[in-house]
Amino acid sequence: MSIVIGAAAAVFTGVGAGISIGMATGKATEAIARQPEAASQIRSSLLLGCALAEATAIYGFVIGLVIIFVQ
Amino acid sequence: MSNVQEAMNSSIQNKTAFTIPLLGGIPVAESVLVTWILMAIIMAAVWLLARKLKPDHPGRGQSLLEMGVGFINSFTKDNIGPHWRSFAPWLGTVAVYITIANLSGAVGFTPPTKDISVTAALALTSVFLIYGGMFRFRGLRGGFHKFAEPVPLLAPINVMEIAIRPVSLCMRLFGNVLGSFVVMELLRAVLPVVVPVVFSLYFDVFDGIIQTIVFVFLTALFTGDALQDE
Repeated sequence: MSIVIGAAAAVFTGVGAGISIGMATGKATEAIARQPEAASQIRSSLLLGCALAEATAIYGFVIGLVIIFVQ
Repeated sequence: MSNVQEAMNSSIQNKTAFTIPLLGGIPVAESVLVTWILMAIIMAAVWLLARKLKPDHPGRGQSLLEMGVGFINSFTKDNIGPHWRSFAPWLGTVAVYITIANLSGAVGFTPPTKDISVTAALALTSVFLIYGGMFRFRGLRGGFHKFAEPVPLLAPINVMEIAIRPVSLCMRLFGNVLGSFVVMELLRAVLPVVVPVVFSLYFDVFDGIIQTIVFVFLTALFTGDALQDE
């Protein structure tokens, strides 16, 4: 039972990543709409920022796996 | 449903491929074996592509290679600054290895970066690059002085970053590749016909390339940060 609660708590880190990447994508699309000629630079900044923000969610996922599978 | 559970369990473990029968049996992990195969493929490709290089009328392959090398050189020069020549070949090699290792999941190998030992080793090489470069290009005193820049109050954080940066590099690459691999294994256990091909385009190809870019970019960024004076 404590394994289930632990893994569920670990996976909740995905919420932060989801919200922040959603907001970042919104700002990026606004910026592209304002200045379409900078689109490729905005896109590469967006991808880099999303990959970095995703990392915290991945840490939670790995901890969840460790909790479930390591006795 | 035991199919799914079995796929889940087997995809997380690191299997031993074979055991060398010397010195009481040295187990050779699957990731090491796949890395050997990838190394053979990369070296064969390098030998084939670099065989007839001519300075006057470059063919198509040579032009592509020159574009790739020029891209890595300019990227390194932007991020590291004046000492970029020492770092560009290493960053290019790491980029090639991690890309091919991540993409090997799409063709049927188990990606060697799924093993945390491999990503930890890559992160350790990045640490040696960053702090070795810092002490080599600034001298011993200058290297220690760099920990107290920009404000001496940040010195404990700069020292802690020696440990934090490689952990984050390692876990990011490991977690992404392991997550992609587990999802692909589960998909293959449940819907083995056409669906894995479509999802493999995102999970194996796109995610693998993005993780390479992030790893190399962060290493170059940290190295440039350690070398530059501002």
